[in-house]
Amino acid sequence: MIKGTIKTINELLSTKQLSCVELTQQYLDAIARHNDTLNAYVKVTPELALSSAKKIDEKIAAGIPLGPLAGVPMTLKDNISTKGIETTCCSKMLENYVPIYDATVWELLQNQGAVLLGKTNMDEFAMGSTCETSYFGGAKNPHNTGCVAGGSSGGGASAVGGNLAAFALGSDTGGSIRQPASFCGVVGFKPTYGSVSRYGLIAFASSFDQIGPITTTVEDAAMVFDAISLKDAHDSTSQGCDPTVPYLGDSLKGRTVGVIKEYFEGIGDDINDAVHKAIQVYRSLGAEVKEFSMPEIHYGLPVYYILACAEASSNLGRYDGIRYGYKVPHYNDINEMICRTRSEGFGEEVKHRILLGTYVLSAGYYDAFYKKAQSVRGKIVASFEEIFRSCDFIVAPTVPMTAFESGHKQQSATENYLTDICTVPVNIAGLPAISVPCGFDKGGMPIGLQIIGQRFDEATVLNAAYQYEAMTRENAFKVVEMGVRP
Amino acid sequence: MKVTNQDVLQMARLSKLYIDESELDELTEAMSQIISFADTINAAASDNCDFDNINQLSNVLREDTVIPSYPREEILSNAESQDDGYFLVKKRS
Repeated sequence: MIKGTIKTINELLSTKQLSCVELTQQYLDAIARHNDTLNAYVKVTPELALSSAKKIDEKIAAGIPLGPLAGVPMTLKDNISTKGIETTCCSKMLENYVPIYDATVWELLQNQGAVLLGKTNMDEFAMGSTCETSYFGGAKNPHNTGCVAGGSSGGGASAVGGNLAAFALGSDTGGSIRQPASFCGVVGFKPTYGSVSRYGLIAFASSFDQIGPITTTVEDAAMVFDAISLKDAHDSTSQGCDPTVPYLGDSLKGRTVGVIKEYFEGIGDDINDAVHKAIQVYRSLGAEVKEFSMPEIHYGLPVYYILACAEASSNLGRYDGIRYGYKVPHYNDINEMICRTRSEGFGEEVKHRILLGTYVLSAGYYDAFYKKAQSVRGKIVASFEEIFRSCDFIVAPTVPMTAFESGHKQQSATENYLTDICTVPVNIAGLPAISVPCGFDKGGMPIGLQIIGQRFDEATVLNAAYQYEAMTRENAFKVVEMGVRP
Repeated sequence: MKVTNQDVLQMARLSKLYIDESELDELTEAMSQIISFADTINAAASDNCDFDNINQLSNVLREDTVIPSYPREEILSNAESQDDGYFLVKKRS
């Protein structure tokens, strides 16, 4: 059995080899030892964690049957609302914001008995690909602490990769779960738009945002997904999704794997090799491989940045210093108060994106940018639908590169956007996709394999990843010698 | 695509952001790069493909029933300034 997974934790707790309090304390001690290095957590909640663990131990002692996530120490990205616990979006704007309600996903996990260790680091308002736009400084990569963890859910990927949590919830607007999971050598799953409730997720781009798990194994990802994918009256776009765990292990014989050639343009040699080896693994499992071309992928990044920034410029209009968040202490009139509050409360990347979003929505530019991008979005959706008429799932690289050094000076304002080139098409079309470890580059940094499915067909995506993982785990996964692996 | 200092100041005004004079040239350069990048979309074939939303969703309706709200003091607890159960916005500080 693989150490540090939800399954091993279930086994240890149910056979009473370890109490939940002991287990939780091990994680808290590991966080105390390693978080200065990784900066994965921006807030640790030891009292809450230990009191939740104690309740689980009492239930175990009383012989009450528990679900698979009961007693499992985990963490939430700091844009997921937690009642009574700071939820900052890693921004000065929300540095002292304490939600008065729980996000639906956190309510569901609490009901299952999950143990919250703390809140994890992220790019400010989830805008970034390195975690370095965080007001609290970026999270570091457990495979090389001189490198970035990726972003925006960098803290969650760093915590799971560094064994400082059994699993994390992140959010993925343009790749923010899959990209850091790829960089940190863990599994990251972005569900179909609508599978998981967004209620209580602080909005970035509402037609793209989706919450999903970051885990050590694919089976763990499926277990967490099944626990959080319910229809929620608080989010009118949520539809829920059928359980996926029962499909893990289904044969891939006779299934068709799609390979879209445009995904391989300009990617690193080591990544190209690793993904092509993965395609061979699918052949060996009895699947047929079919090649496709989808030229619209070239427009994925500009479509994404236009639409996501347009939505963000509207969503972030709510930060005016009046009802919550930062407010300047001195001002001469209300307009000055709002402008200075926003100018001082938001970081540089957030301001860039608000300005771009305002530009593409403003009179004279709306048709050339926003409307055009919506039209191309429709074409990308249609192209994926066409491809899925003749294949069951698509495999591609998750990121064209591996994790790079922290503090890398960008050559242009858009350079970091390129890390999202393979992940954004999925968000544009609202599809489910997973990143699963598929080997290492010459420097020993992890590479991610991306598996993309049809809307609400998470079972196929998770099963395809599960089968690949079962065949390759020994070579594609490396244990990081830090944290705890019960 | 060329973006001018005036364009950036206009966007900032609409976004309720102040731009420091000393940052303006650098910001205009960054915005020029970002908007040129966004402009590459106009090379895509234009056949007015309609797009409304991802999952062909329609409006979700329910009875307009009155349910208890969050306690007023909890809602106010995150505000920097409040007075007598209301958010307080002073004309000047």
